[in-house]
Amino acid sequence: MNENEHNFEELKKLLKLKQHEVPPPGYFNNFSGQVVSRIRAGEAGGAQTYVERLQSEAPWVVNLLRIFETRPGLIGGFATSLCLLLVLVVVFADRSDVASKNLLTVSDPSATMGSSVASMPVPSLVAASDSSGIVASTNPVTSLQPVATLFGQPASGSLFQPAGFAPASQ
Amino acid sequence: MSEPVPIVDASMPAGMLEGDLVRRARKGDLDAYDELVKRYQQRIYATIYHMTSNHEDANDLAQDAFIKAYSALKSFKGGSTFYTWLYRIAVNKTINFLKQRKNKYHYSLNDLDFNTENNPDLVALISEKTPVREAGLTELQKKLNEALMKLSEPHRMVVVLHDVQGQSHEEIAEIMDCNIGTVRSRLFYARQQLQSYLSEYAKPA
Repeated sequence: MNENEHNFEELKKLLKLKQHEVPPPGYFNNFSGQVVSRIRAGEAGGAQTYVERLQSEAPWVVNLLRIFETRPGLIGGFATSLCLLLVLVVVFADRSDVASKNLLTVSDPSATMGSSVASMPVPSLVAASDSSGIVASTNPVTSLQPVATLFGQPASGSLFQPAGFAPASQ
Repeated sequence: MSEPVPIVDASMPAGMLEGDLVRRARKGDLDAYDELVKRYQQRIYATIYHMTSNHEDANDLAQDAFIKAYSALKSFKGGSTFYTWLYRIAVNKTINFLKQRKNKYHYSLNDLDFNTENNPDLVALISEKTPVREAGLTELQKKLNEALMKLSEPHRMVVVLHDVQGQSHEEIAEIMDCNIGTVRSRLFYARQQLQSYLSEYAKPA
């Protein structure tokens, strides 16, 4: 660095000329008075913009915005990662819903029965009987047991009653 | 113009300290703030002037910086000295102003003081180049300002604060909110650039 400093000696001498540039004589006599009178006139209160207030209260936000300003690619990356995060949250929320339903199925058979009965499209069954002469059995299924097995295959020891259709006896 | 200003102003009653003035100003004492402005007005003005090369702009920006500092005094935590904090406000204001102006410079240079011709370094530089000393100095002043304005704002700011105002690397790092290594590298690069722009006057030794 000393060598570099030595190389810049001429330049540093030249830059000393700047120290001799002075404002008009008497310029500073009234400078502070002008500042104070502007403050008294109420400029200080309204002079602080939203960004300036943000800078004093949360400088990290302003720094982040400055980084985005200088590197536009970063804002794209940031936005992409936000979108990915949102998608992940949605996916995991769905999975947790499925998992909780499965849990309900295992632990509460009546809930499953209730839901399957409730979701049965009754009007469509009636319509089907009208058109083909076959009606679905509407007998209550009392011996139905929950089937909680791997890959939906019934376990060997489980009890279940398959749904059947019988011609209407008239 | 850029000579160090004493921290304790003898004209103040009982040589009031900077901290006391800041506390009083914070409570709304405009007389105390007036004293603070008087202490730093020359240095703040000079820094902005050397950055803009325009007296009117420097006047407006310096006043704005002091007014903004007053309005933000409550957020001044005292983590740095008041003058470093004030400098930071002035520097940010100036850099923002220059960015908005987008390199459209309008020079309004101040006159050189009477001591210029007594500076042996400058006299030596000029006497080698031009027979008429006064014309040489004015021309040199113009070229020097033009060369400075070719630098980017951060590089110009480092040169102004260090080589013209005499601030240390540490102070500049604090004012510009960057590390000392950045200050040193910016200074080196800026000097190299200036040397190439002013090769007629400043040749490497």
